Amino acid sequence: MIKPVLALLALCSPALADQSPLPFDLGGAFELVDQTGTARTQADPQGHPQLLFFGYANCREICSAALPMMAQVADAVAEQGITVTPVMITVDPARDTVDTLGPALAQHHADFVGLTGTAMQLQVAYDAYQIETEEVFTDPEYGPVYAHGSFLYLLDAQGKLLTLVPPVITPEAAAGIVAKYTQGQS
Amino acid sequence: MKLTKNLAAPLCALGALALTAPASATEGERIQITGEIIDTWCYFSGVMGGPDAVVGSAHHTCALWCSAGGIPVGLLGEDGEVYMVLKIEGDDQNASGDTNLNLASHEITADGMLYKRDGLNYLVVEKVVTDHGITNLNHEDYGVVPGFAIPEPKK
Repeated sequence: MIKPVLALLALCSPALADQSPLPFDLGGAFELVDQTGTARTQADPQGHPQLLFFGYANCREICSAALPMMAQVADAVAEQGITVTPVMITVDPARDTVDTLGPALAQHHADFVGLTGTAMQLQVAYDAYQIETEEVFTDPEYGPVYAHGSFLYLLDAQGKLLTLVPPVITPEAAAGIVAKYTQGQS
Repeated sequence: MKLTKNLAAPLCALGALALTAPASATEGERIQITGEIIDTWCYFSGVMGGPDAVVGSAHHTCALWCSAGGIPVGLLGEDGEVYMVLKIEGDDQNASGDTNLNLASHEITADGMLYKRDGLNYLVVEKVVTDHGITNLNHEDYGVVPGFAIPEPKK
């Protein structure tokens, strides 16, 4: 049932040219490393659009909603022939390492890409998206809890920002937005 | 346009307008708006209760937890529409900043720029003109929503 809904959303959504530009300049180049230890930039090596989120694998707060939502969106647009790569850049590099990121994100989606790096490398990515992170308290069971920006960013294959997606809307609505921008790009 | 849990209908309504009306201005629009700073996750997901219960004093504690955890806040306007807050006076992020936490569940009058994009309302609050405080005292009807928002002390 989701495919007709997505088609309807894409058909009914406002034209891309007829909407407000983003009120700030977001995005840019970064160089990190994925869960296989391979260097990766803002560009998708496979040439697919990307759905980017800043979070951490052990997060019990917004990430526990955003990461499954990203997986659902990827599956939903795949039914329309659109391949979107879900990508998470960690805000907790102490725990999100090359060794730990893969299994944690694979629980959500097989194609999930997790990125980490040195503090300096990560800061470049945070600065590009104006991400502020802060350890707000320590959960006695799950460890440090971080506050961090939680919007999803839709990027094209080259890593250019296309639009924002709030993490609180339904996966179906988010997929409609993603499909609108990425139709024919993958 | 009201942002609802199911966006298909409002998106279609907007799409229909786009088909019949000439292209509107694409720049942001300055507005002054009064409404409550809400926890958007609990409001839209419905997992913690209905929309009347996940606002106001009943949901204040949970709203603090959610904002601290990175969930973006929104402004539920008197017109019933939700405006996703991108930035707010005093804070450089969309959640968890001191201003966001201080204003959780408060009714405010905000002056800022409205951006309509992808069928959603985004708001950059440049100035909180008036902070009316928590005016929706719905804890008298609902108690604390959800109850576990205030943890039981461990013995």
